[in-house]
Amino acid sequence: MSETSLKGRLGALALVAPLVLFLAIFFAWPLVSMLKESVSDPVGSHAFPLTAAVAGDWDRQSEPPEALKQAFVDDLRAIDDQQLLGDAVRRLNSAQNGFRTLMSRTIRAVEEQPEGPLDLVAVDRRWADVRFWRAVADSTNPYTDRYLLAALDYERDASGRISALPAETSANTAILLRTLGIGAVVTLACALIGLPYAMLVASVDGWKRQVLLGAVLLPLWTSLLVRTAAWFILLQEQGLINDTLMSLGLIGSPLPLIFNRLGVVIAMTHVLLPFMVLPIYSVLLSIPRNLMPAAASLGAPPWRAFLRVLLPLSLRGVVSGSLLVFMTAIGYYITPALIGGAQDQMISSVIAFYAIGSANWGMAGALGAILLVATLALYTVYGRLSADRAGGR
Amino acid sequence: MPLSQSNIRFEKVSKAYGTLRVVDDLDLTIDEGEFLSLLGPSGSGKTTILMMLAGFEAPSGGTISVGSQRIDPLPPHRRNMGVVFQNYALFPHMSVAANVAFPLEMRGTPRLEIDSKVARALDMVQLGAMKDRRPAQLSGGQQQRVALARALVFEPSVVLMDEPLGALDKQLREQMQLDIRALHKRLGLTIVFVTHDQSEALTMSDRIAVFNRGKIEQIGTPREIYDQPRSRFVAQFIGETNLVEGTLAEAGDAGATVKLEGGGTIRVQPSDLRPEAGRILVSVRPERIRLGPDAASENAYPATVTDAVYHGDHLRIQLDNGAFGFVAKADRKTAEFNPGDRVMVSFAPSDCWMLPA
Amino acid sequence: MRAATLFKLLFGVLAVVFLIAPLVAILPLAFTSSVFLTYPIPGYSMRWFNELANANVWRMSIINSLIIGTGTTLLAGTLGTLAALGLRNAGLVLPGLFRTVFLLPMVVPAVVLGVGMQVFFVHLGLANSYAGVIAAHSVVAVPFVVVSVTASLAGIDRRVERAAASLGASPFTVFRRVTLPLALPGILSGAVFAFATSLDEVVLTLFVAGPNQRTLARQMFSSIRENISPAIAAAAFLFIVGTLLIAAIAVLVRRRTEKMKQPAEA
Repeated sequence: MSETSLKGRLGALALVAPLVLFLAIFFAWPLVSMLKESVSDPVGSHAFPLTAAVAGDWDRQSEPPEALKQAFVDDLRAIDDQQLLGDAVRRLNSAQNGFRTLMSRTIRAVEEQPEGPLDLVAVDRRWADVRFWRAVADSTNPYTDRYLLAALDYERDASGRISALPAETSANTAILLRTLGIGAVVTLACALIGLPYAMLVASVDGWKRQVLLGAVLLPLWTSLLVRTAAWFILLQEQGLINDTLMSLGLIGSPLPLIFNRLGVVIAMTHVLLPFMVLPIYSVLLSIPRNLMPAAASLGAPPWRAFLRVLLPLSLRGVVSGSLLVFMTAIGYYITPALIGGAQDQMISSVIAFYAIGSANWGMAGALGAILLVATLALYTVYGRLSADRAGGR
Repeated sequence: MPLSQSNIRFEKVSKAYGTLRVVDDLDLTIDEGEFLSLLGPSGSGKTTILMMLAGFEAPSGGTISVGSQRIDPLPPHRRNMGVVFQNYALFPHMSVAANVAFPLEMRGTPRLEIDSKVARALDMVQLGAMKDRRPAQLSGGQQQRVALARALVFEPSVVLMDEPLGALDKQLREQMQLDIRALHKRLGLTIVFVTHDQSEALTMSDRIAVFNRGKIEQIGTPREIYDQPRSRFVAQFIGETNLVEGTLAEAGDAGATVKLEGGGTIRVQPSDLRPEAGRILVSVRPERIRLGPDAASENAYPATVTDAVYHGDHLRIQLDNGAFGFVAKADRKTAEFNPGDRVMVSFAPSDCWMLPA
Repeated sequence: MRAATLFKLLFGVLAVVFLIAPLVAILPLAFTSSVFLTYPIPGYSMRWFNELANANVWRMSIINSLIIGTGTTLLAGTLGTLAALGLRNAGLVLPGLFRTVFLLPMVVPAVVLGVGMQVFFVHLGLANSYAGVIAAHSVVAVPFVVVSVTASLAGIDRRVERAAASLGASPFTVFRRVTLPLALPGILSGAVFAFATSLDEVVLTLFVAGPNQRTLARQMFSSIRENISPAIAAAAFLFIVGTLLIAAIAVLVRRRTEKMKQPAEA
């Protein structure tokens, strides 16, 4: 390797390095910490360090060893962070019902006898039940899969087997399905409007093309919030759409357009339509102009030429556009949050609720991990497709 | 379509985009079975004429008919003419076989018949082995032949070709010229061939129509176009020529005499050209000029060699006789010429052609 | 044929109305004198613009947006431009990988990134700080800069730079006198994109900003959610007019650069 080319390589790396470093710290690391949150369960190991040290020696089935019981009592005596203790109790109670009363009784007993061995079964009969000890021992494991399982409506039962949650508590699959459903409907609506629109843009030229393209680009450049606010105004009960329909006498009372699924789909279709139109349009532009004349000269009437030549060739754009729209749609937060009702919230809203509303990072992280994986998978397919197109030319 | 009397007629056809007249009041008859080339520089209107014939452009005025039937109101897909497009216009998403089958499908040909016709058409262009490939996997020459097979498979009586060989390199182009010419002979097709390459037009055509600014400058056999150009434009566009200006001094059945601008006279072959005020151009092709130590003809002039360039198969010699300059082509083996040499330039009156100034 | 043309026209008009009407419909409401965001407008006034300028929450949020937007433009603009120059360098190993990584922030759902940043910024001590919000905004703004500058660099004819070098310019002079001026439109439009991205960012702001960093977009979001008022329309009016202005400038700049290039090609 010559000296100059080595210098060139180092120079190129030096130019790229600041952004790589920046993204590593402020983009990759946050994602990693989110993923870590989804599998971490630090409360038990922090609150009960002595128990954690001996929990590994117990097989979870037989009578818990005395050492474990003693370690647990010592941990309770040592703990002085009341907030940590509260968190630990909550953590235990979520794994096994009854811990709240059991723990308050036990903590009182520990306070009354600050030294020496303590017969816990005498304090409360429940300490004879191996399930409570199993919950204590399990809580000291700093890693857990229960958030990820819960995100898909599964749990581990007392014996550690994975089983589905009962239907009345299984909200997450419903939300995941709803997210996919809304994404699919929006994608379909975008394709149904976007394909003919892109064809129209490609079929005209001069000022007509400028106007049609401008109509797509202007919303794209406009703030997402502004567009959502605009739809809020149009769709509300005394909004322009209801007013117009009522003054035309088409309807007697306002249609429910906002805070429901219809409003979300309309507003999201508007927001995402440019992502469908632009890929299709660019594919249409790359189709040689003489193919349709060629089809006609070979005897194809216009509609058959359309079906056999133009439509199949533009399908690639439709697939790219659909992936782009679907991928963006399933991660949407603002539009459903502002236009949708409680029954129209998508996975992002639930993540935001866990993260901001209830500070449940584990659940937020687990649902976020699912959304992240789905999005990256779709993006990979999209990348393959566009690479194929670039290479095939 | 009646087969007997199916020549193509353009009558008073014009085409204008806004104020720009691309084709101006065109009258043209193309005989059945003829190979006609439309030759001209870009923008001369030749492609527009082809597009009007195929139905992709509507004439602004006039009529186009095949036999007794007017075709200008017909949409392209009902004209039944094979078209070979510039850059071929193959369908990128279909295999070679599907491309060739396309026109047959559009005509509702039964599947079995389609298969055999496609196979035959691909064999005709020697691409039987490539039938499952996509156009992008073929070379330029192969794509060209697929386009040809596709335009011929439905047995149209008229085939239109728009600069079909423009994208090929020289050797392949010459091979394809011979192939197309052979197909024309064998199938008895009427071919209308648009090109801007004059040598291509000369080698392939029965007749050539030379276009300039939307009008036909001259139409005739390749020999007529080359040997008897009727205008300065045609003389200069087809091949290379020496043009000298003069006045017609005397004309008779045996020949005419032209008095040259810079002094001297030229005897030229007889012509019925009688220009007003006697102003005239004389055209002499460089390869008809003889160079030697002595005068060998009626038209002989002393001249000085100013430059001699080696061209492989010939020498291109620049000459000056004081009054006018000449370009001559000489066999490279006959003699050596060097700048400054004094030679005699001569040419037969039968190689001198008069045209209007 | 007639019916098809008519259908095309109808579809085109309806689609354009669907795309544009919402943006147009919100504009007049910025000037309403009423406290409701509904038509018909009882009277016109500038009261909601006054509200934006004078009410504390709105004024603070506008100032915050300007501070954070400027910071994001500088940070993302610098990092993105440097990276785009590096990507253009033939000596870079694995350019495809770098390119993909630089575009990823555009792909990852904002809420997912937001959760991660919220957790991580607490560890870094960046939670509820201007620096944290600027860093977060820069992450999502930087792909736009990279794309924009890369595109304008790709448009530069390498022969022009070689010509400059052959005429005696040192590599740095070539960069300063030839490459940089030619790439400038791309850098500027990347900067505009970065600013606009920051201005419009809500989700990350929700997760990482404290009450003191409440931006205009964030304020609009909670205002629509909690107590919607025509102040929203007034803010939207400013956004839309700003967009149109920037678009007009972009078109003008492109016209000028195209004119600059034309004689060379003719």
